[in-house]
Amino acid sequence: MIARAARRRTATPPPAGGGPVPARPLPWLLPVLLFVGLFYLWPIVDALRLAFTDASLLDRDAAFSTEAIGAMLGSPALGTVLRNTAIFTLGSVVGQILLGLAIALLVVRGERNGLRGMLVMRTLVLAAWVIPGIANGIIWQMLFSEAPFGAINSALRLAGLPPVAWLSDPGNAMMSAIIATVWQGTAYSMILLYAALRSIDDTLYEAAAVDAATPWERFRFITLPELRGALLVNAILIVIMTLNTFDVIISLTGGGPGRATEVLALFTYNTVFYNFDLAGGSVLSILLMAISLALAALVAAFLPRAGRR
Amino acid sequence: MIQSRRSRWGNALTYAAAIPLAAFFLIPVIWLLSLALRTPAEVFLGAARLVPEEPTLANFRQVLTDGGFRLYLWNSVKLAFLGAAGAVACAAPASYAFSRMSFRGKPALMMGILAVQMVSGLVILIPLYRWMDRLGLLETHAGTTLLYVSAGIPVTVWLLKTTFDGVPRELEEAAAIDGLGRFETFLRITLPLAAPGVASALILNVILNWSQFLIPFVMLSETAKWPISVAIFNYAGATNATTTQLLAAACLVAVVPTLIIFVALQRLIVGALTAGAVKG
Repeated sequence: MIARAARRRTATPPPAGGGPVPARPLPWLLPVLLFVGLFYLWPIVDALRLAFTDASLLDRDAAFSTEAIGAMLGSPALGTVLRNTAIFTLGSVVGQILLGLAIALLVVRGERNGLRGMLVMRTLVLAAWVIPGIANGIIWQMLFSEAPFGAINSALRLAGLPPVAWLSDPGNAMMSAIIATVWQGTAYSMILLYAALRSIDDTLYEAAAVDAATPWERFRFITLPELRGALLVNAILIVIMTLNTFDVIISLTGGGPGRATEVLALFTYNTVFYNFDLAGGSVLSILLMAISLALAALVAAFLPRAGRR
Repeated sequence: MIQSRRSRWGNALTYAAAIPLAAFFLIPVIWLLSLALRTPAEVFLGAARLVPEEPTLANFRQVLTDGGFRLYLWNSVKLAFLGAAGAVACAAPASYAFSRMSFRGKPALMMGILAVQMVSGLVILIPLYRWMDRLGLLETHAGTTLLYVSAGIPVTVWLLKTTFDGVPRELEEAAAIDGLGRFETFLRITLPLAAPGVASALILNVILNWSQFLIPFVMLSETAKWPISVAIFNYAGATNATTTQLLAAACLVAVVPTLIIFVALQRLIVGALTAGAVKG
């Protein structure tokens, strides 16, 4: 052992290239380590520290205090905000996964049968993903607009149907925010599940054909189990993305009407940058991180153990 | 025979499901285009005038000249490309090390880099706002670019590691025999061979940076420094029912550049996304 370690240390100059080479990875990793340290780890520690102060965005001195924690966790708004966050995240994530899976299945089936237009379908879905979240909110506001020129309501009027209060009714506003989010985010689920579907071994389906399995049985007993890993990884990623972003909401509803669509990320932003309450915002941001981690860990618990892949 | 009739039914069903779904994804963009081409009078006709009778480009002209959107576009291009280049430049050597070297703590480090990607931008931006202020980097494109780079690094490290994994080692070994140092081998042999993967990482970063809202929204309050995402958000707040067509035009201007990049380079981008996905 010691001899090997010694040999390793004296083996200069290292034979470059592949193979089991004594590696000095530090210089290679340094830029990334610096960025991760300075722009991720240190800020997280600092946010934890700030949570225990009375810091505001405007002055620089901050004293130790647990007031912010009490004030934020006891805030009457927090209950509403957490409820909104739960509904918004659940609705968006379930919508994105179901729609993404449906489209991936359609496209794979279409491609296997040589149907035309499948590339167009895939491109359309992915194009929505490329559109910036802010633009997404603005576009859907034009669709949901309750003014005479709103797309959906004016189409309803043409069809002789009554208009719907898409954005001014609190319940509808949440649904509208979820629809806009699903419109954009489905692409991500679709592409992950599409790749996973394509990598399923064809012989499984051939065996099922020999057993005269129905399409539903093929889906239930081959496709779904084979997709399990991809579905769970996808779920973790989009739960976190959905929890942490608010650009669609801020440009679609601004969190309103009232607080009807104010999710935790937007609430945190408002606390820091509108109320200048740095300590309170830090408390909320840590709460956001804790929820993200807890949900990710929960979903990850269902992942098949390593080595299966 | 039965088989083929069944698959014909299946095909019909596939289309029956695909067409409404395609419409769901297409209609919002069509509507945006329709509004952007209308005169104010036609905007008020709503869905009845989906295809404008007097289409006009005046909205685009006004947004680009009076609205200052040319400047916002330029700011977006600058931030998106500098941020992407920075992320790729920082991540590439690390990805190479992860792909080629074995060292203690490598799996933990790689998982750590994956994990920090899950930390909300908000958690980071709250303390960083104060530091940036103290360093005098608030209100600067330099400070904003640094944040774009750090936001892009985790994904880029993973994408490029997958890319380098696919480059055969034999050529590097040959280069080593010829006396090339490790870093030179990386620069002159591996990077050129990995060019398609590096390009797709770059493009993916550009697209993500183009969508970036929170970082510039927090960092930049001076109008002249805004990228287009922040600009259209503020423009939306300042417009009303009589200027919807202008907002639509501005929105389209914000969306079209990445749409073009995406459609032109779709294969590269989808390849990069799915390569990462399959590897986990």
